[in-house]
Amino acid sequence: MGVKDEVKYVEIVYRGIFQKRLAKYIAEGIVYTAREMGRPALSFGRYGDSPERNGVPAKYYVGIGNGVNEEDLIGYSTRVEPDLVDAIIVLDDTLLKGVESWAWQGVQPINLKLKNNGTMLVTSTKRINELLKMIPKKDFNWTLGVINTEPSFSGLWAFKDDLTMEKVWGGLAKLRPDIIDLDHLIKYVSKKQDANKRISAVKEAYSSVDYRSVMKGEGIDFVYNPPRLLTWQEMLEGTVIPAVPRGKRNELFKRGTTKFERPTVDFDTCIKCKLCWIYCPDECFDETPDGYYDIAYDYCVGCGICADVCPVKDCIVMVDESMFADYRRPYEMWKENKAKYKEWLKNVRQARKERVYVPGLGR
Amino acid sequence: MTEVKKLVEKEVLMNGTQAVAHAAMYADVDVVAAYPIRPYTEVMDTISKLIADGELDAEFIVAEGEHGQFETVKHASLAGARTLVGSSGVGWLYGMEAIVVTATDRAPVVAIIGNRALDDPGAYGVEHNDALMVRDVGWLLVWVDTAQEAFDTTLIAYRVAEDQRVLLPLGISMDGGFLTHSEQIVRLPPKELVKNFLPPYNRGKYLVHPDNPITVAPQVNEDWVMEIRRQHEEAMERARGVIVEAYEEFKKVFGRYPGSTNELQMPENPFVEPYMIDDAEVVLIGMGTVSKPMKVAIKNMRRQGYKVGMLRIRWFRPFPTQDVIKYLANSRVVCVVDRDYSMGSPNRGGVVYHEIRSSLYDLDQRPRVINFIGGLGGREITIQDVEKITKIGYEHRDTPITKPVYWVGVRGDPW
Ligand code: SF4
Ligand code: SF4
Repeated sequence: MGVKDEVKYVEIVYRGIFQKRLAKYIAEGIVYTAREMGRPALSFGRYGDSPERNGVPAKYYVGIGNGVNEEDLIGYSTRVEPDLVDAIIVLDDTLLKGVESWAWQGVQPINLKLKNNGTMLVTSTKRINELLKMIPKKDFNWTLGVINTEPSFSGLWAFKDDLTMEKVWGGLAKLRPDIIDLDHLIKYVSKKQDANKRISAVKEAYSSVDYRSVMKGEGIDFVYNPPRLLTWQEMLEGTVIPAVPRGKRNELFKRGTTKFERPTVDFDTCIKCKLCWIYCPDECFDETPDGYYDIAYDYCVGCGICADVCPVKDCIVMVDESMFADYRRPYEMWKENKAKYKEWLKNVRQARKERVYVPGLGR
Repeated sequence: MTEVKKLVEKEVLMNGTQAVAHAAMYADVDVVAAYPIRPYTEVMDTISKLIADGELDAEFIVAEGEHGQFETVKHASLAGARTLVGSSGVGWLYGMEAIVVTATDRAPVVAIIGNRALDDPGAYGVEHNDALMVRDVGWLLVWVDTAQEAFDTTLIAYRVAEDQRVLLPLGISMDGGFLTHSEQIVRLPPKELVKNFLPPYNRGKYLVHPDNPITVAPQVNEDWVMEIRRQHEEAMERARGVIVEAYEEFKKVFGRYPGSTNELQMPENPFVEPYMIDDAEVVLIGMGTVSKPMKVAIKNMRRQGYKVGMLRIRWFRPFPTQDVIKYLANSRVVCVVDRDYSMGSPNRGGVVYHEIRSSLYDLDQRPRVINFIGGLGGREITIQDVEKITKIGYEHRDTPITKPVYWVGVRGDPW
């Protein structure tokens, strides 16, 4: 029962604070274009998320009535999040590894809510096949599209009008004309300031979006086991939760999906000063028996403070998160084969991109 | 219909808080006091931008906390300024001393309460207990459930609160997240029409001004208090009539019923919104956005043969006792969904539940009343939940109630 095809939902996955306005404006454009097409539409954030916290994966939604009136659309959409979505827009390809938008739900696959035959659109400079190495498989066919562009960080206190919105809309219009079509999109964009350059960006994305059908079973394994939350009889009273024993971490509350950059450590130059261990706000460093400091990447939020405080030049360097497929610990890799680690370190650091300066990033 | 269309100047995508901010701009507020707390904050974000953009000329005062914020508007209001203020959750409670005296000093401050769970645990989601903290101290309280209604009700709020027969502060409650942060299309009327609807704020002989030397709130102790409370209660009662007038006038000026749009036909009762209630054996009751999944569920259930309807409580203070009686007297079972609770209350239920039970007590033939506590801290009440509530209600058409209160979807209780 329920929504069926009477409502189409678009999910926009973004990095909290850095892409908040971008996501909201993209949603707004889809709503207005759908209305140009004569359909009721609305948008809402996944309110339990923390879109105002640095880098936390967060979600925005658009609901479009497909034969239902506005009142029913609001009725269906008075939700924290829809059960299923027709299209997912991913604004930073490092989110593909999984999102933990808020505590106590575990890391969820990026395409958890995708409908059968749904569409996912990613902004990335990577090719489709490369992206599929990070995207979980589904037991149905779906479509993956790539808008060839760097992630745009247009956050809470600044909006970078770099036409990312127009590119995303253009790509969506190409892949899902049933959600928004090109004609009505252009009609909407024409009403904006500097309409001509915006229309060109829409058309350019429309004709250049790279996409293909992804077969059932194609992609990586990702078994999502939502954590079992305690009943009221099982919980401690008075909003009390027991401490995590010394040396352990909270298995239910990993924060690793928050980062789009991660620190890499050159253990050969480390002077064992312990500053990284002291300063890391998320206590990600573990002392090793030989006095080095290993990083639990699945808890690291990528704030960059360790890189800031490390007194040795280039001992800790922040590196683009998209260079990594997993959260394997660096010390383990180093111990296994130091020469190989050094070579690997060189490679990932070479590919390092200079990001736009975002206040609050710890740099 | 075409005539109505003319009365809409533009259609804009807005969330509930932005809708209120725009209405306050239309109402040409003079003083705004702000102190941030989610989810109400965006009202102030929007207002400050409207001021910065030159669209609104008002004093925008950032207070050092909620107490200062509410004191600021109270004093401004007594001196004749139209004011806007607001808060959420524990922020609203932190201002409580000032909030209480705003009512006793009869300052018609309009406040937005972005309903939010009371800490702990820290949660941003909707729960109605924050606003309900003022239910007994003489604030007018209204709940809105769409962005359009938020806009329209803000205009109505100034008209009702500032009426010289009333002069009471007024809280507009809206569900955190589901309305404060959900964007819907709002039909904005032409600005000039607002002048026809909303007269300038005039305190008359109660204005604090050098030309009108009066003192407000002297120390009076036991000699005056009972009488002051009695007057206050009369003003609350007079507000009923003023609210009806305001809705009538709104319809005349803007060509539509408050909260309705061109397409949506809303039943015309200011205090409650009845929905498919005429022949309903089971009636669902709720405040705020829970009415939205309720309506969809009711349509579904009606198709399956259930005679179910809804009564949304819009105005909570003054409480619409007569309307509740009128609409519920012929039903068999009433299912009250509370997005709040009253710990240790007579039936261990919610606040609205107890008000409804109390309203129905004097009827010879009373419907059975069941309570559902749900959606606390922003948890969803889904269409499926509402259907289940309806079925539980239906089962009790002919059987006495053994379990008066259900907790909807709480982990650990069967549901
Ligand atoms: S970037 Fe460094 S300091 Fe920040 S969370 Fe990760 S390990 Fe800790
Ligand atoms: S701060 Fe740098 S040098 Fe100091 S222990 Fe950490 S990695 Fe080694």
